[in-house]
Amino acid sequence: MRTRLFSAVGVAIGIGVLASWTAPLAGQAPARPSASAKAPVNPRTPDGHPDLQGVYDIATLTPLERPPQFGNNMVLTPQLAKQLEEQVAQRKDQAALPSRGDRNAPPIGGDGSAGAAGNVGGYNNFWIDSGDSYVIVNGEKRTSIIVDPPNGRIPSISASARQRNAGRPVRTTSDQSEGNDPGLEGPGAYDDPERRPLGERCLLGFGSTSGPPALPVLYNNLHQIVQTKDTIMILNEMDHDARVVRMNAEHVPPSVRKWLGDSIGRWEGDTLVVETTNFTDKTRFRGSTENLKVTERFTRVDGKTLLYRFTVEDPATWEKPWTGEYTWPATDTNLYEYACHEGNYALGNILRGARQRDQEAAQKPVNK
Amino acid sequence: MRTKLRLSVALPVAAAAFLLATGVPLLAHHAFGGEFDANRPVLLKGAITKVELVNPHAWIHLAAKEVTLAGEKKDLKGGTEEWAVEGGTPNTLLRRGITRDSLKSGTEIVVDGYQTRDHTLTRANGRNITFTDGRKLFMGSSGTGAPKDGADSSEPPPGR
Repeated sequence: MRTRLFSAVGVAIGIGVLASWTAPLAGQAPARPSASAKAPVNPRTPDGHPDLQGVYDIATLTPLERPPQFGNNMVLTPQLAKQLEEQVAQRKDQAALPSRGDRNAPPIGGDGSAGAAGNVGGYNNFWIDSGDSYVIVNGEKRTSIIVDPPNGRIPSISASARQRNAGRPVRTTSDQSEGNDPGLEGPGAYDDPERRPLGERCLLGFGSTSGPPALPVLYNNLHQIVQTKDTIMILNEMDHDARVVRMNAEHVPPSVRKWLGDSIGRWEGDTLVVETTNFTDKTRFRGSTENLKVTERFTRVDGKTLLYRFTVEDPATWEKPWTGEYTWPATDTNLYEYACHEGNYALGNILRGARQRDQEAAQKPVNK
Repeated sequence: MRTKLRLSVALPVAAAAFLLATGVPLLAHHAFGGEFDANRPVLLKGAITKVELVNPHAWIHLAAKEVTLAGEKKDLKGGTEEWAVEGGTPNTLLRRGITRDSLKSGTEIVVDGYQTRDHTLTRANGRNITFTDGRKLFMGSSGTGAPKDGADSSEPPPGR
């Protein structure tokens, strides 16, 4: 099989026709081959490894965690998937309908909106690009990205991890609390810019968009892979974070910590395996410690799709590792610069608002 | 029959859970509640003076000739007041072909939102930014054939 593969690549290079790289390679498919009728297509780099390069738009309607009513069922029936996707499309159409030109201001006391819209309504739907369809893996639409544990949900963090996190002043990009807090946060949350979440400070994209593990978010879900023999770069649109994976290398010493961790890679057959450790104690994916280990597996399932599978381990936070998987479809749209510091007036506005509240509090008579 | 029954029961719950991920931002670059004051709703009418298609959030500036703030109409004495309203990431618009030049200075718009928690600033979130007839500034894209770019105020967007 290996011989056939190399001869196929040789012919492709020889005649210089890129399309020849898409010759079907029976038996070279990933461990869990696609159930689609089409034979898998597997372009290769000159050194013989699968060519994973491209720009991928990972936006999807499939949530990270499975809604509880689906139980252990990871598959969405085609009928239900179609209905849900149509509903999303209808909602987007509705959001695009005209409002009244002679409308009034929204209500005093807030409009009741949840999440990051924070009771003030956020902004129009046209800025958002969070996907139109559910992820397809092995020909089946999925109810969640998480596949292990079987209920598709992140295991509860341990009591000691909860206690550890409660004592931390600095919030992370991936804290759910940001989304669940419609108004102001606890005391001291605005005392210092360094207490603001990493996303708000433009240090990392929010919601683990850059990862690892890379997860879909509300917008700017583009990721680009550039591959050489010795290094593989994963460029994330937000916040234009480039993660450089050193192939067949050792991790840097434990004293060296990085925002995105230290990534080393190896090929297991046709799957790129990337192991990342050496995170900072501020990255803290979903409340983890700096000893988090993320193992990612990139497998090409056809000429336009990668399967991305990741396992998250941190015994000080979760009793057992947990795993997710979803596909990365290639896109021909552009990835744009996301120069976050350039226009981050929001952070200044947030802190100025807090200083005004401090002033007002100082002027109020103290009632004891 | 069995499938049909299961669908009709499962759909409302499932739809509610899944659709939470669309509509309004659940998790974004920053929580808007920390920046804007839910007790200071504002309605602005006026002409665009500047468009900053910058990350993490775009800002559209306007010379408001009508300002209704916290339930009271401001007396601008026939003049205008400069306001800036915060939107989302411009990268999404760029991918749909909308650029800084798509939206001309002088275009009359209507904005509703909430003022910053610092009340000395004339800034608000662009909760809903429309032309004066209520059409959304940039149309959404849904994959159902909805127009993608309604930026030119001089003519209705295609398909409508």
